[in-house]
Amino acid sequence: MILGALITYPQAIILGLLQGVSELFPVSSLGHSVILPRLLGWNIHQNDKYFITFLVATHLATAIVLFFFFWRDWVRILRGLGRSLRDRGIDPADTDAKLGWLLVVGTIPAGILGLLLEHPLRNVFASAKSAAFFLMLNGLLLFGAELLRRRAPQMDADDDARIARTVGWSGAFAVGAAQAIALIPGFSRSGATMGGGLLVGLSHKDAARFAFLLATPIIGAAALLKLPELFGHEGDGVRGQALVAALCSAVTAYLAVRFLMRFFETQTLTPFAIYCLAAGAACTVYFFS
Amino acid sequence: MRNDRLLVALAVVAGVALIVLAVVYWVEPAKSLPSFIPGHEAGSGHHHVKHGIAAFFVGLACLVFAWFRTGPKRSATPPLT
Repeated sequence: MILGALITYPQAIILGLLQGVSELFPVSSLGHSVILPRLLGWNIHQNDKYFITFLVATHLATAIVLFFFFWRDWVRILRGLGRSLRDRGIDPADTDAKLGWLLVVGTIPAGILGLLLEHPLRNVFASAKSAAFFLMLNGLLLFGAELLRRRAPQMDADDDARIARTVGWSGAFAVGAAQAIALIPGFSRSGATMGGGLLVGLSHKDAARFAFLLATPIIGAAALLKLPELFGHEGDGVRGQALVAALCSAVTAYLAVRFLMRFFETQTLTPFAIYCLAAGAACTVYFFS
Repeated sequence: MRNDRLLVALAVVAGVALIVLAVVYWVEPAKSLPSFIPGHEAGSGHHHVKHGIAAFFVGLACLVFAWFRTGPKRSATPPLT
């Protein structure tokens, strides 16, 4: 087998551009990275070692973009965490510390479930058919979140203060755990966290902000954990393509997060729900016909 | 108060035990793990790195919980939910 032909540079560019957008839009990046190669007739499969290694670079790029987009927030949050550890408690007025610990509480279940379930779930649900079907269900999940969302009064002017006062510990844990559903191709991690945020009483804008803050450590850690594979023999033949894809992914991730933070000031998850239902249904019919 | 101390003691014991377990996962191959530990596989040289990471962070969370729980009590001010 010629390793250089595993993923071509045009394929890498398309997959990178797609990854940056679909990781942050609530439409399942993993689902799209399974469905698109099948639709375009590419000989790329989700469980191929080299493809997983390739995706690591794009995920890392997305996490870095997210980190720098919310750089000032992360500095405040990390300082808040430090203050609370020093004082051995969370000052009720210290919303940065509270938000920081909410993110920790949300990240722990997602991290543990991800570490333990990623491999078995990937093996079971690796096909484009199942990804298309679950993309439809993701649409229903987004619709459900919109229907059931709580409309809490928004009193604080500061975004992070609003999130810290609205989301409780159990809410953060549940929203964090909900991210694990994205281990199944077709379900969206950001969709699950945004939907969860709406259910615990956040506005769309705050739910998106909380989802992106929650995404940064989990995507970054997952990518860093697999980064050695990219530099090992499993990365042979895809390292250059992975770099190109990571750059493309970084560009579209930046544009996506900028767009979404403005979009959710006035809009809802409904357009994404409609897209997932329509695209999932169309792909399901196509793959089964 | 007594329940609180018990909870803290349990959190510290669990935290230390889980961090030790994490080190065992990182150092020992699956075949050398005690049979009652999840991940034991006879004849396998695989290191359960991910199990170790999970155990380490849960252990750390237990210790942080104990650290906060034994901190100075705060006066009642408007609570964050």
